Amino acid sequence: MLWIAIRMLTGDAQKFYGLLFGIGFSTLLITQQMTIFVNLVERGASGVYNAPEAEVWVMDPVSRTTDVSYAMPATALDRVRSVKGVEWAVPHLRAVANVRTKDGDLEGVAVIGVDDATLIGLPERMKEGDKSVLFAPDSVVIDDTGTTRFFPPEQSPIGERLELNDQRAVIRGIADAIPSFTSTVVLYTRYSNALNFVPGTRNRLSFVLVGVSEGETPEAVAARIEAATGLQAQTREEFSQAGVNFIIENTGIPTNFGITVFLGFVVGIAIVGLTFSLFLRDNIKQFGALKAIGVTNAKIVQMVAAQAGLVGMIGYALGVIGTVAFIRGFGANPFFKGFYIPWQIPLISLAAVVVILAITGLIAIRSVLKTEPASVFR
Amino acid sequence: MLRNLSFARQILPALALIGLAVAVWLVLGGLPDRSTAQPAEQPPKAVGKLANEPRVAGAGIVEPASEIIDIGSALSGLVTDVRVRPGDRVEKGQVLFTVDARAAQASLAQANAAIGEARAAIAEASTAQKTAREQLALYRGLGDPAAVSRAEVIRAEGEEAAATSRLGSARARLAAAQSAAAAARTEIERLVIRAPIAGEILAVNIRPGEFVATQGGGNSQPFIQMGQTNPLHVRVDIDENEVARVALGQPAVVSPRGAAELHVEATFVRAEPQVVPKRSLTNSAAERVDVRVLQLIYALPPSDDFRVGQQIDAFIPAKAPAAKGEQ
Amino acid sequence: METTTSGNCAPEAAICARGIARDFEAGQTTIRVLHGIDTDIRPGELTYVVGESGSGKTTLISIMCGILYPTEGEVKVFGTDIYSLTDTELVNFRLKNIGFIFQQYNLIPSIDVASNAAVPLIAQGMPREQAREKAKVLLDKLNIGNQADKLPRQLSGGQQQRVAIARALVHEPRLVVCDEPTAALDASSGRRVMDLLREVAVAPDRACIIVTHDNRIFDLADRIIVLEDGRITHDGKEMPDGH
Repeated sequence: MLWIAIRMLTGDAQKFYGLLFGIGFSTLLITQQMTIFVNLVERGASGVYNAPEAEVWVMDPVSRTTDVSYAMPATALDRVRSVKGVEWAVPHLRAVANVRTKDGDLEGVAVIGVDDATLIGLPERMKEGDKSVLFAPDSVVIDDTGTTRFFPPEQSPIGERLELNDQRAVIRGIADAIPSFTSTVVLYTRYSNALNFVPGTRNRLSFVLVGVSEGETPEAVAARIEAATGLQAQTREEFSQAGVNFIIENTGIPTNFGITVFLGFVVGIAIVGLTFSLFLRDNIKQFGALKAIGVTNAKIVQMVAAQAGLVGMIGYALGVIGTVAFIRGFGANPFFKGFYIPWQIPLISLAAVVVILAITGLIAIRSVLKTEPASVFR
Repeated sequence: MLRNLSFARQILPALALIGLAVAVWLVLGGLPDRSTAQPAEQPPKAVGKLANEPRVAGAGIVEPASEIIDIGSALSGLVTDVRVRPGDRVEKGQVLFTVDARAAQASLAQANAAIGEARAAIAEASTAQKTAREQLALYRGLGDPAAVSRAEVIRAEGEEAAATSRLGSARARLAAAQSAAAAARTEIERLVIRAPIAGEILAVNIRPGEFVATQGGGNSQPFIQMGQTNPLHVRVDIDENEVARVALGQPAVVSPRGAAELHVEATFVRAEPQVVPKRSLTNSAAERVDVRVLQLIYALPPSDDFRVGQQIDAFIPAKAPAAKGEQ
Repeated sequence: METTTSGNCAPEAAICARGIARDFEAGQTTIRVLHGIDTDIRPGELTYVVGESGSGKTTLISIMCGILYPTEGEVKVFGTDIYSLTDTELVNFRLKNIGFIFQQYNLIPSIDVASNAAVPLIAQGMPREQAREKAKVLLDKLNIGNQADKLPRQLSGGQQQRVAIARALVHEPRLVVCDEPTAALDASSGRRVMDLLREVAVAPDRACIIVTHDNRIFDLADRIIVLEDGRITHDGKEMPDGH
């Protein structure tokens, strides 16, 4: 019987494609908007992700995110190193500075000072150049988003000189980094250079990056660091979450995207519900005949479920494919750099599709189930 | 079987499934790598038994056992000769450099001349004295007081006294000239700068022909820096908050900056009695600090891996946690 | 005119209806469309139920074939009291024992003729190809075997009704119920459909009820039951005078 149901569904091309469009559009809207939302707020954690070695971040108790931090005295590094379970600890400086480009434009940049000796704190990959270029004097590594902001596409930034708070800085490499939420240009340099580039305040050490010893968990070590030093220690996960939460709390993004996702859901229910109801109503005589001939209601429900399942499967696939194509297609755009589709989101939109079909299917099928078989004789 | 292949029923679902599979593959393949990476280079870390025991970390700097001696010059003048080069090992008293001594040499020659003159005067005065005494003794030996006039006797007595005083004056002049010569020699000696202790020349900032002023010229560089580099010491800064935890007297594990894989055990020498403001090791002129540190001195074993002035990371055992009184 | 007061049913009766009454709610009021119908339908006969619109003939036939619950009375179809069955049992009873032919054919437009004719077999769980083969045999009998792979809309009305007949008979039911089978057809095709129906449907162990007011085909009936205002006013071989 189910194949008959499928035939009935595809026999009405107009409504079939209408249903596909409704589901596909809903899926696309929900998946794509949630993806952009997640990626956008995850930009708040890009600073954490760009320092892949650090398992624990230690900071002043008032610091909140990688960009909202309060510097610590230099000896904090040694105090952290003193804690049991800390395999290594290196200084990490994050500050803002003004840079004068060759054209004379003024631009705010983030200066990130990574450990002098080990370069811990640099992004994992370099787009151009090697990490070791930082050992050269006055050298900085720019992030790839910054490249597009500072230089025309045809110009290689390698070797360009910048004026950074009256200090000379030479770009010697491009880091493959996840852009920050504000897409600020980021300059990576060694800690000692960063101290020169950034105007002096009393304390300069923004963070201490910590690796934990084998057999220790980051959580335990972080708790121990907090107990022993009075500083705030967060694991990588906690700190990235803090960055995300900061964006969520301080911007209207969740509301905006939440509304769009909700709209996608509503549009899905509206289009699919209407079309599905119309479709079933068109076929109500056939269903009535089938009921009279001797098809049970359970079987009818199965048939409608099969129809909904087919529509849902194809429409959902189209929506997900559309989202993937969208994210892939715009991957080259700096705004979308590093965007990915968390695997949970297609599952969420799948659940949404199931809910949409369940709601609309139940509403639509009621008329079929309520149809008296006797009505076929009228 | 009815119509060979239906777009809506067969091709579309198949395409949808294939597309979905591709999408799933792309989604799973596109998930970002959020795992932590191992550092490419070894950062400084506590090793061995310190890794799992209470410890205190500190940053420090390598210095000679004698600390760095900035050699000064007592007198100003032109440098005439530099006898050592950086890296030379010198004995105590070895000449390091000399300053132009011509003026002092001239003084010495002058003093020597004065000595000769004084000696001649002494000779002349003693001769005169002797003559006067002899004549006086002759007069005194005459029995007849009338044999020599009283006036003659007085004259002879006066001559004797004059000669005696001339001799004393000449002697005094000799002594003066001799001491002038000694002063000149001392000055010449002071223009030769010698090593105060046995040790290694760390820096030479003068060249022959340069003018050296007496030390204390504010930001001027020291002329020569030296120190006893066998053994080397490290001066480790410990945050004042951690001072109570340090197990004084225990050996420390020391790694030079940039070569964290090296772990050298350094023996405890002493703790500075005074807690001092942390000296910036970042070379930033604008740095002001409110952090105070206790400086601990450790002796390094003989090694080629450490240089004077190098920054190091040190790990020092802490007292047993029970002594901390926390927890 | 036959009015039976006793509840006894002849053992050979295909349908034995006793005291059938049916009410319909119409707003505040209740309208009784059937007033205690007692009748037996015998196998091997082509029985017509005839009446004006609103006479209750559709209601009666719906009740007799198990798709409408009566307000009062009981119906036995081949000895089974169908309204004492559960819903599912009743549905399965219909599927197994009753074939339906509707006025508007109610064919499924998006599946081909053979599949449409095979629907009861498929609903019974027979594999599709086997069911279609059986259906094609029957379609051949109905002279539309060459149309088996077409869609219903490609067929004329008479041909579609023949497909509906095939669907009603494909599972060899013991009772066939037809609702105005010729109403949507012109005279000649209606005639041809009725000839075929009489030829194929009527069998010694099968009862066949046709609801109609198409006087062009009254001559084919073995028995005609006339219904007026919910009561049987005539029951016989011929139509009473005045109709």
